[in-house]
Amino acid sequence: MTCSVDYVYTVSRLRAMENRLLEPGVFQRLLDSEDLSSALRVLSETPYGKWILEQQSEEKFDKAIESELLYIYSETERFVPDPGLYFICRLPYDIHNIKVLLKGIFNQKEGGKRRMDLLTGLGNMPVDEMVMAIESEDYRLMPFGFHRTVPECVSIWDQSHDILQVERVLDEALFSLQTRIAAEMPFEGVRLFVRSRIDAENIRNLARLKRMGFEAPQAAPFFHNGGSVPVEKVNSLLNEPFEGWERFLSFADVSRTLSSVQEHTGLDSLIVDLERSIDDFLSGILAKFKYSAFAPENVLCFLWLKEIEAKNLRILLVGIGNGADRSVLRRLLRNV
Amino acid sequence: MDQLGIMLAVLGAALAAGFAGSGSAIGVGIAGESGAGIMTEDPGKFGLVLLLQALPGTQGIYGLLTAFFAILKVGLLGGDAVSVNVWQGLGVLFACLPIAIAGYYSGIAQGKTSAACIQMIAKRPEETGKAVILPAMVETYAVLALLMSIILLNSIQF
Repeated sequence: MTCSVDYVYTVSRLRAMENRLLEPGVFQRLLDSEDLSSALRVLSETPYGKWILEQQSEEKFDKAIESELLYIYSETERFVPDPGLYFICRLPYDIHNIKVLLKGIFNQKEGGKRRMDLLTGLGNMPVDEMVMAIESEDYRLMPFGFHRTVPECVSIWDQSHDILQVERVLDEALFSLQTRIAAEMPFEGVRLFVRSRIDAENIRNLARLKRMGFEAPQAAPFFHNGGSVPVEKVNSLLNEPFEGWERFLSFADVSRTLSSVQEHTGLDSLIVDLERSIDDFLSGILAKFKYSAFAPENVLCFLWLKEIEAKNLRILLVGIGNGADRSVLRRLLRNV
Repeated sequence: MDQLGIMLAVLGAALAAGFAGSGSAIGVGIAGESGAGIMTEDPGKFGLVLLLQALPGTQGIYGLLTAFFAILKVGLLGGDAVSVNVWQGLGVLFACLPIAIAGYYSGIAQGKTSAACIQMIAKRPEETGKAVILPAMVETYAVLALLMSIILLNSIQF
């Protein structure tokens, strides 16, 4: 009788909402579509149909995907007892919005354009409030410690004009926030997910930095603390050939992301497959909680599956719109 | 001393009805929460949900049945007055314990199983038959406890 049933309503409702997830057959029909119009026709028969009808042109399919995600987030927000669970999922969008706004301001100072169309409503903080706070430089009411992070980024830009450093500070803020929120909740699975996500991000950064030719001392600040693999260990791998990374990390779960992408000749193609492998690895971390009828981690699992579904749809629709080879698109799809 | 014997028998009946009823209440509550979650998204599943929600309610009925037997045995529910000594009263109390304990725990366990099975039919309504069998397995142990309580009550001589 030790099993908590606090999440019985939540998990049951999520199980019913899982019927909104697209079946593998829909993805197959999308892959078989001749062009974007026929793909959108297939998609209009699914829960995305409502949002597709609202769009004025076919190219706006991304807004339809965003609307479905927004609907899912606002619904779950109403009945999930611990807000930390959806905060963790929505924080990357807050950080994305901050990056878009700051880059816009920095660009404008140098005579460039601002890209307000890249802002998303999927974050925890309403977009209007964030725009107002950053444009007026009145950061006091920004939540999650953004009132300290944003001025720090502005200051870094003023001193160095180094956008990579600004992004690094924001990513660091994202992962430390996620770690802090997970630590405040009594759910081991949530902490495991955040740790695995940091590990996965470090591996992704490792591959990117290796491709960009970074040396270990330069790269060290780009790795994030909080994962199960120490950053020093990840950083030391920059001096090793890619083929050896899996062996060096064999003590950690994240090495699974590397085992499926060993047969690559170059880092460019490897990074594409690594992205898919990382998403599948994180899905695998959460998948085991699906077998527990009352586990709060089911919230993360459902939201993550919805995110991956949205990612798959973007890959397919962008690819189909650009006439990409269907076998390439199939290879890029994540497991849902 | 007769009064103490009667009191012990009444305590046994109260425990049987109280604990088994509490187990059922908790179990039905858990299954009901699960059912509400499903029906918020799909109200058409009311019939299936109701069936599964009702399953953990049987322990309460078993407890009530045992309590009736116990108080009938000591003559509190009509019939001839029976003289009950302390040992006979204790006997009735102990005879009521199997359904009190097993009813409480199996009610909660069955509620959890029903909740999980309600989640199952949310995704696979065609598996309703299997969804009913799984919580019914828990019922077996409540039935065994009821059987033992009745056998024990019948074996007490007044």
